[in-house]
Amino acid sequence: MRTALLIALGLAIVAADTAAQVPYDRIVRADSTPSDWLTYSGNYQSQRFSALTQINRDNVARLKPAWIYQVRRTGIVETSPIVADGVMYITEPPSTVTALDVHTGRPLWTYTPKIPPDVIVIGSPPVNRGVAILNDTVFVGTVHGHLIALDGKSGAVRWDITVDDNRFGYYVTSAPLALDGRIIIGVSGAEAGIRGFLDAYDPKTGKRVWRTHTIPAPGEPGSETWNGDAWKTGGGSAWLTGSYDPVLNLVYWGTGNPGPDWNGDLRPGDNLYTCSLLALSPVDGKIKWHFQFTPHDIHDWDANEIPVLFDAAIDGRPRKLVAMANRNAFYYVLDRETGEFLSATPYAKQTWAERIDAKGKPIRRPGTGPSTEGTLVFPNIQGASNWPSPSYSPQAKLFYQAAREMGTYFYKGEPSYKAGEAFVAGGGRAVNGDDAWGAVRALDATTGKLKWEFKLLTPPMSGVLSTAGGLVFGGTDEGNFFALDADTGKPLWDLQLGGAIRANPMAFAVDGKQYVAIAAGYSLFVFGLP
Amino acid sequence: MPLRCASVGIVLFAVAASVEMRAGAQTPAATIQQGKQLFDGMCARCHGIDGTGDEGPGLNRATLTRAGTDEALREVIRDGIPDRGMPRVRRLTENEIDQLAAYVRSLGRTSATATSGNADRGRALYEQRGCASCHIVNGQGVSFGPDLTEIGMSRGAAYLRQSLLGPAEALPRGSSPVPGRGFTEYLPVRVVTADGKEVRGVRINEDPFTIQVRDTANRFHSFRKSEAREIEKEFGKSLMPSFRGRLADAEVNDLVAYLSSLRGDK
Repeated sequence: MRTALLIALGLAIVAADTAAQVPYDRIVRADSTPSDWLTYSGNYQSQRFSALTQINRDNVARLKPAWIYQVRRTGIVETSPIVADGVMYITEPPSTVTALDVHTGRPLWTYTPKIPPDVIVIGSPPVNRGVAILNDTVFVGTVHGHLIALDGKSGAVRWDITVDDNRFGYYVTSAPLALDGRIIIGVSGAEAGIRGFLDAYDPKTGKRVWRTHTIPAPGEPGSETWNGDAWKTGGGSAWLTGSYDPVLNLVYWGTGNPGPDWNGDLRPGDNLYTCSLLALSPVDGKIKWHFQFTPHDIHDWDANEIPVLFDAAIDGRPRKLVAMANRNAFYYVLDRETGEFLSATPYAKQTWAERIDAKGKPIRRPGTGPSTEGTLVFPNIQGASNWPSPSYSPQAKLFYQAAREMGTYFYKGEPSYKAGEAFVAGGGRAVNGDDAWGAVRALDATTGKLKWEFKLLTPPMSGVLSTAGGLVFGGTDEGNFFALDADTGKPLWDLQLGGAIRANPMAFAVDGKQYVAIAAGYSLFVFGLP
Repeated sequence: MPLRCASVGIVLFAVAASVEMRAGAQTPAATIQQGKQLFDGMCARCHGIDGTGDEGPGLNRATLTRAGTDEALREVIRDGIPDRGMPRVRRLTENEIDQLAAYVRSLGRTSATATSGNADRGRALYEQRGCASCHIVNGQGVSFGPDLTEIGMSRGAAYLRQSLLGPAEALPRGSSPVPGRGFTEYLPVRVVTADGKEVRGVRINEDPFTIQVRDTANRFHSFRKSEAREIEKEFGKSLMPSFRGRLADAEVNDLVAYLSSLRGDK
């Protein structure tokens, strides 16, 4: 009897393991299963490229909506869907997770965490950008600073842990990154004067495996770039999903602005590791190398953009690269093994730097800091880029970026820290309307040289997707979802979706049919060929 | 590049006598001086230096409708009035709000620039000059140009004067939800269709692929940009005629006085 029970339990465990939907090995091989979209940016390299070819330049003009899902609560829908085995997992504002039948858009389950009414969200709207999936579990970060693991079949809570105390302004908007035995999550909250960090959790138990602060404490490497107690409120949020190189076993994660944002007088020095790219070991969280794009930032130009990994020859030598179209308007290419700076090229209008020197350090133009009377600087506060994803096509070797052409009058204010309140010391007035614009740009991925651009009326807050069908999909604030020829930028199809697009497109296939999905307004749209 | 007021459209504090201003405790001159520095940096572009009004209303009055109490004033300074075009330019500390509030209140204690015109004579001029063939006041008139029913609450006298004498330099920006976000409103456009037909009117809305226009006969048109032969957005122009040289100074003053008196009440 007892033996039989043990055998039964053993079988049950084996059965549970084989029923695991999305083991790590499957995410590593994501490129070979383009029907699914298993991680935030499509693959660990964060290329947001689909190898599907059914929708292509020849037929995209016939693209039609297949189904539409409307979210339950209004708010900005910034979700980037995950698709695995016929199920789409999306998030709705502020921190709801919903599983949809990919054939019809009918909900399979939905889960809403209990968000306290006095939740503190300073620095962004209360949004969520997506989930991670690993085995049979779906992971979501919340605006009240929790990380929650949900059963992928039912939405039942497997565990729910506090990442950090929301009363001090810690919150989460980004999709976690699921690795082998690790769920990596970064926090938001620099505008409330948090001390930023990146955490790894055990996917099975929710137990924290490591925490790496993005702001060193006194005595730690980098602490010499801070003054007095400024590190305690130093910011450096890690609020956007990073990338992973399974061969080098390194995680690449961007960090945000130092606190307070627009008055750097209290924090003389470079303020490491703010506005930087960190390469960390997923095993213990140790920083292998760092590269700081904007030392001593005073414009709120977080480096929370997507680090895109690809390999290419530079000067005849094959290199493992990481590229980022930074919020500060420069496109950077680094060696991702060593962090060596290779090049920086402006991809949008900028007025703050004379140039980037041979080590990658910007030489600032004098008189471009925030002031009491307002200083006009390009790019604007939200930057030439922001969280919306770029795309890299391994076929075209192009880096596609939705670029924002906009300036801001930057104002400097007085810093005053109070726990759980805004710690920003200034702000800005956007130069918008007819004085701003945008473009989808195709850059040579290794040099940053412009190959083509497609102009937009306003600075976009939509990501882009490139496909093996020779297409680049993108969106506008005016609600247009569109497809461009990936080689020339020529518009091939567009549709008005009736609400601003503040999300990333992705592609998947089911029953032999390819679809493209994007959120717009309060809805998620899925398109296919008739 | 025209950077005038960018996202800052209109209305800050509207004018209508209702609440008696309370000066409160003596405010140190230093606080007021610091408030002026903040005001000149963030607010003067729309509200005018010394709060004399421009695209935003004048603040050099004893009573401010939207800021009758000190708490209401602090709230407006802190949060802006986004749906009326006044942004929250930046987050302010309590101390900075104190300084700004003290300065704004001090403006009301100086003598307001009086509008020298006569509103009744202005109303007669409005009727004689055919303004109603393009504008609505209290439901009467034609909707080609802006509705002026509450224009006295949202614009200062200096801006209204500019609108009469050089309307092209005073097109409102981002004060209404369409086209929104700091866009120039009533922007003249000229479209030539594929078959050579020319349409002239004002831009109603636009995206990268399409543009919506209302022509001079107040009819809507929609164009796909890729199908039009020519689309010219005429920045620096206005379809409203300039009254410079066509009205005497006194008449302009009278019209400004009339427009300033339009506050939504019949």
